[in-house]
Amino acid sequence: MALIELNEVSKLYGFGDATSIALDEVSLSIEQGECVAVMGPSGSGKSTLMNIIGMLDRPTHGDYHLGGKKVSRLSANQRAKWRRDKIGFIFQSFNLLPRLTALDNVALPLLYKGFSTAKRNRKAWDMLERVGLGDRVYYFPRQISGGQAQRVAIARALVNEPQLIIADEPTGNLDSGSSRLVMELLSEIHKMGNTVLFVTHNPELTRYATRVVYMQDGAIKYDEQTKLGEVGRFARSVMYTVPEITEDDDLAGISAMMPVLEKRSEKKAAKKKPVRRKKATTRRKKAVKS
Amino acid sequence: MSLRRNNFKLAYQNLKAAKARSFLTMLGIIIGVMAFVLIICIGQGVKQQITGQLGRYGKNAISIQPAAAGADNVFGLQSASGGQLTSGDLKTVQKTQGVTAAVPLATTNGTMSGDHTVNNPYVVATTADLPKVVHQAFASGGFFDPEQDSKTVVLGSAIAQKLFDDNAPLGQGLMWRGERFVVAGVYDDFHAPPFSLEANFNNAVFVPYSTAKSLSENSLSIYQILALGDGQTSTDNVMGKIRSNLVAAHGGAQDVAVRRASDSNAASDPTLHLLTLLIVGAAIITMIVGGVGIMDVMLVSVTERMHEIGVRKAVGATNRQIMRQFVAEAFVLSAYGAVIGVIFSLVVIGLLRLFSSLQPALVWQAMLIAPVLAVATGVFFGSIPALKAARKDLIDALRHE
Repeated sequence: MALIELNEVSKLYGFGDATSIALDEVSLSIEQGECVAVMGPSGSGKSTLMNIIGMLDRPTHGDYHLGGKKVSRLSANQRAKWRRDKIGFIFQSFNLLPRLTALDNVALPLLYKGFSTAKRNRKAWDMLERVGLGDRVYYFPRQISGGQAQRVAIARALVNEPQLIIADEPTGNLDSGSSRLVMELLSEIHKMGNTVLFVTHNPELTRYATRVVYMQDGAIKYDEQTKLGEVGRFARSVMYTVPEITEDDDLAGISAMMPVLEKRSEKKAAKKKPVRRKKATTRRKKAVKS
Repeated sequence: MSLRRNNFKLAYQNLKAAKARSFLTMLGIIIGVMAFVLIICIGQGVKQQITGQLGRYGKNAISIQPAAAGADNVFGLQSASGGQLTSGDLKTVQKTQGVTAAVPLATTNGTMSGDHTVNNPYVVATTADLPKVVHQAFASGGFFDPEQDSKTVVLGSAIAQKLFDDNAPLGQGLMWRGERFVVAGVYDDFHAPPFSLEANFNNAVFVPYSTAKSLSENSLSIYQILALGDGQTSTDNVMGKIRSNLVAAHGGAQDVAVRRASDSNAASDPTLHLLTLLIVGAAIITMIVGGVGIMDVMLVSVTERMHEIGVRKAVGATNRQIMRQFVAEAFVLSAYGAVIGVIFSLVVIGLLRLFSSLQPALVWQAMLIAPVLAVATGVFFGSIPALKAARKDLIDALRHE
């Protein structure tokens, strides 16, 4: 059995008429050792999928097997332990705790594992050195750059030596230099035999992946194997056909809002006349009554 | 183990990060602990003062009061509306085997004038044996002896001041009920109870019982008889005899209370006991209010740190581990509050002892129990927000900013 097995997994938000579908019966299986890039426009369900695979969220319907075990059967306690030991999660916004030093942030998963202070610090220190931050050990997150913060977050994700690394737009908040560094780190982890999943908007970054999954409207639209160092074929087509949606636009939320705003202004223009007419008719009615 | 230590360290850091808020929370606990400790210490002090008011009782002193007296008034010194003792009872007690002396204490009234006039003095009619039972030093002179002179009085220190200012009252005359009395002695200060002026022996004029009785047309009511055991028979034994003799004299009615004088009056007074309970109740309520304050602040803290909770859960903290972190915070908060509260109340006790007539006792039990109670309430109320934090949905918490 594959490491990750999703079988018709759905995620719904809201009730009744207000229901929105974030994931629409997604089936996906990922083998141990793959490096999967997940692409797709905002709101296509990439993050929801990552959250479910990373056990941060639970599917509304469908089965999810991780390492051959049905996740829905696990207790809250066991899920927490799996998150701690089997999965390393890297967020777009780093999610470091601001009041803890880089060292303490990295040591956090070890703390919850019950390691002694000395052991924790030694392992966390080693990990920080591995991501090239041996000289930033006692810095607080606000004192380091975004790229460095993301590397601290990667160190935290790796410190428990998990099989599965999930990165939800790890380079979303970073400049291209830092992005490259972070991606190099992820690919290094992948080369060591770990399974890596990452979400990205940048087709260039699919060069690091062995497989590209393209999502749209909560479903997997395209799924292809690629060679390391090559941009996926579909990703390349995305790169050239949808050039107006860039990562920056997405972040600002502008691209998502634009069509809505346009439609609204059209509607307003169309509505103006009928409103006047209505008023006129009511006036006429009143005149008739009197 | 290290997680626990880490929790406390973290709790301390978090509280330090929000100093003003933490202090306000602690204030509830501080006030609660202070109220608890102070009330008990002052209450105990007052009790000791009241009990000590009759000076040092003789070793075998026994107090006989109408049974209703103790229940009817707080200090048990004024004559009760219920039963009263008669001179017949006094004789019964005096005749009881093992009793070497028995003195009546009866209150009466009437204007007294020495250099000044006092309209309603607290007049206590008693016999010459009083000093045998109540050991109290004299400032000047000694106790009266009606057999030598039936028209002598002994004054408490405060009333002496009122009647004669700063003049030496000894040997001076004063008028009471149309008769002239001579001051035979003035008592040193009795340990004064601060809440009662009437029952204060410093305000009392002691007159010979026989004289007072003849001047009040034999209608003198005795509110208390003090008896002295001979020291050979055990005091309990003598008390039993007195009780049975009086019951027999009263035709079988159980209407007298016979106690050791040293634990009579206030120490065993049910009213004062009730008062203590009431006050402790109030202190506990204050403590609960402090606990609710902790709950309040921690709920805010939980909401503020929702994102942090999400992150901690995402890296593998179990619900229980999150819960423990917040309980540790409540513990640290209330423990600090409790310690500060005890220190503050020690300061207040010191100030009260120096600058007021209150003499609070140092009741170390209260100083131990109050912090324990405070921490217990703090942890109890703190665990409610902690539970809320622990049960928070991970993804919701993580999205919370």
